[in-house]
Amino acid sequence: MKKLLTVAFAAGLAAQIVSAPAQAADAETVFKFYCAQCHGLAGKGDGPNVTKDFPVSPRNFTDAAEMSKLSDADLRNVILDGGPAVSKSPMMPPWAKTLSDEEVDGLIGHLRMLCACEG
Amino acid sequence: MTLKRRDTNRETKMKRLLTTAIGAVGLLAMSSAAQADAAAGQAAFEANGCLDCHYTEGPAREKTIEDQLAKTGPELWYAGDKFVQDWLTAWLTVPAPIRPMKFNSLTEENPGDHPALSADDAASVSDYLMSLTSGVVESGTVKVKKNAKGRVIFSKKMPCSGCHQYTGRKGEPLGGNSGPSLAEAGKRLNPDWILAYLKQPETFKPVKMMPVFVGLLSDKDMANVASYVAYFGTK
Repeated sequence: MKKLLTVAFAAGLAAQIVSAPAQAADAETVFKFYCAQCHGLAGKGDGPNVTKDFPVSPRNFTDAAEMSKLSDADLRNVILDGGPAVSKSPMMPPWAKTLSDEEVDGLIGHLRMLCACEG
Repeated sequence: MTLKRRDTNRETKMKRLLTTAIGAVGLLAMSSAAQADAAAGQAAFEANGCLDCHYTEGPAREKTIEDQLAKTGPELWYAGDKFVQDWLTAWLTVPAPIRPMKFNSLTEENPGDHPALSADDAASVSDYLMSLTSGVVESGTVKVKKNAKGRVIFSKKMPCSGCHQYTGRKGEPLGGNSGPSLAEAGKRLNPDWILAYLKQPETFKPVKMMPVFVGLLSDKDMANVASYVAYFGTK
């Protein structure tokens, strides 16, 4: 019985490991397509749009100290309604009409993975 | 006197008929010449391998990010809506980069390796491309001017300048790199298409890196932005 349980547990774990990257890849694709233009492919705030003229520094998502000050609701808010909704720069676009709810959920998960932090 | 007048009337009618007939023949000849040029242009387009990177039959095919990323050049099935023909003909002979970055890349700069066409091919290919339209772009909707409201939206209220290069008030280059440059947009783009693209992006580019502004900007504000962008490079 113990053996059976162990096998079942291991199988469950393996299934989780197998299914997890598929979800992560999807959010990563979304992140790289829309967000990386300014935030960089690795989320360090260094995308190709950040030239000397760029009026602000896009958020570095790997900065756990800064990112942990923001709740998931804060992140959702700024993604959907843009920088001005949270008194930040209009350089952060409102994505409400572009992204689906699932894509926004995925992005929040991806940001938490990048900062390795919670809100 | 009466007879004379009748003769004159007959003459006038005859002249009008002749003029109309000549006009109709002329128009027919012109339109078939344009068709011939477009057909020659399509042949030149295909012979030059343009279909390797550009598709020319609408409607838009992209449904997912992967579909968009699989493309190696912009779609051209509505080129006749989008471009100014004189610009297009000249550009095809000297294709200077429009995007700072390589198409679909955030890490590689545009290598500026778009093939150049001969002057003859460029003329006929441009005739062909200008014959490709979506049928949804209304003409005469945008008045091109130094639009102050458009400028404020473009560079202050909305993030347009974050991704697109443009020309500052003193002629200086400003803006980001991930989108196509708009610095000389007025020479290149049809103002009515800019507005149509903002109003119904799903028709032209259903999957793109640029945010959808429908429902965030009014039609009037979109027209102001189109007017402002189409002014770049015209004065």
